[in-house]
Amino acid sequence: MNEIEQAQLDATAALTSPGDWMSGRRRRAAWTEARDARTNELDRARAAALSPTSVEGSHAATKELSAAEVEVVHRVASDPGRLTRSWADELIAIVGEEVYTELVGVTAIVSTIDTFQRAMGRAEAVPPAPHDGEPARDRPADVGDVGAWVSQSTGPTKANVSRTLSLVPVTNRAWRSLVDSHYSRGAEFMNMSWDFPLSRPQAELVATRTTALAECFY
Amino acid sequence: MSGDANGLTVDLKGAVDRNVIDDVGVPAGAELLAFTNAVQIGDRDVDKTRAALVAAVGEEATIEAAATVAIFNGLVRVADGTGIKLDAGVFAASIEERDYLDLNAFTGAANSADVQRIEGRAPSAVNELFG
Repeated sequence: MNEIEQAQLDATAALTSPGDWMSGRRRRAAWTEARDARTNELDRARAAALSPTSVEGSHAATKELSAAEVEVVHRVASDPGRLTRSWADELIAIVGEEVYTELVGVTAIVSTIDTFQRAMGRAEAVPPAPHDGEPARDRPADVGDVGAWVSQSTGPTKANVSRTLSLVPVTNRAWRSLVDSHYSRGAEFMNMSWDFPLSRPQAELVATRTTALAECFY
Repeated sequence: MSGDANGLTVDLKGAVDRNVIDDVGVPAGAELLAFTNAVQIGDRDVDKTRAALVAAVGEEATIEAAATVAIFNGLVRVADGTGIKLDAGVFAASIEERDYLDLNAFTGAANSADVQRIEGRAPSAVNELFG
């Protein structure tokens, strides 16, 4: 098994284990909702509209997730390029910034795993049964306002994209492992002419097109 | 960026235009862009574009291309979902490119509207972003 597949297996286990503020059962439920967003009628209608707020309707609560939590997962999964601060503030006020950030992380991990399987022509992985246990409930001491919508690590040399999930360390570890195995590759990231099968310019071309299609400014 | 470091002249406008399936100055660029579009927006057959990419760059590089599309699906969600600003150094270094490529029209540009040049060390290039 290569590093990419191993990292995805590890992330899969992390998604169904107790997280930062959410149980394994609730994280698994978020996984299911993130996947549902690909075909959900409301999400598709919002994504196709000139403005997502012009579409009537809302997501219902599930057994494990509140309506607000389902909304976070579905919007982040289906239309991330058009999220706004006012939308996020409203939901953060309901679910709290820690749970909001954990939901963003779970959704990002699911999106990564499912996209890879689709790209390779494989069936989507079936989420394993959730593991029992308590969430870590650990809010790092070094987080604060660095200009994002949620608190993040305040270290002065950290790039913003490196600290997106720093508020939720358990989820962040799984996420950073995926980033490292799929793209950044530790110290090799500084090497603009790395010696991997996919050259650095080729990798950046794929990255550029992917982010442009998602209308991601960052 | 890495195009310069590798002696390539990359057509950035073509790289971000979903309607362009061309090498844009990168070896096997057309196959890479067709594959990326297929996976990301389903405008062509994923299996066919993957087979064409394997023929162009080999199986290992194709797996790495799939991993790159995949992780950037996650990266756009953590970036836009948490509302991060563009790093001050990158913001200052990319003014012309963002204007040329119409990136300021993206909704997420609003998050960086008040980015200021900051004192001290801050990332100013892609290879400094994953510290």
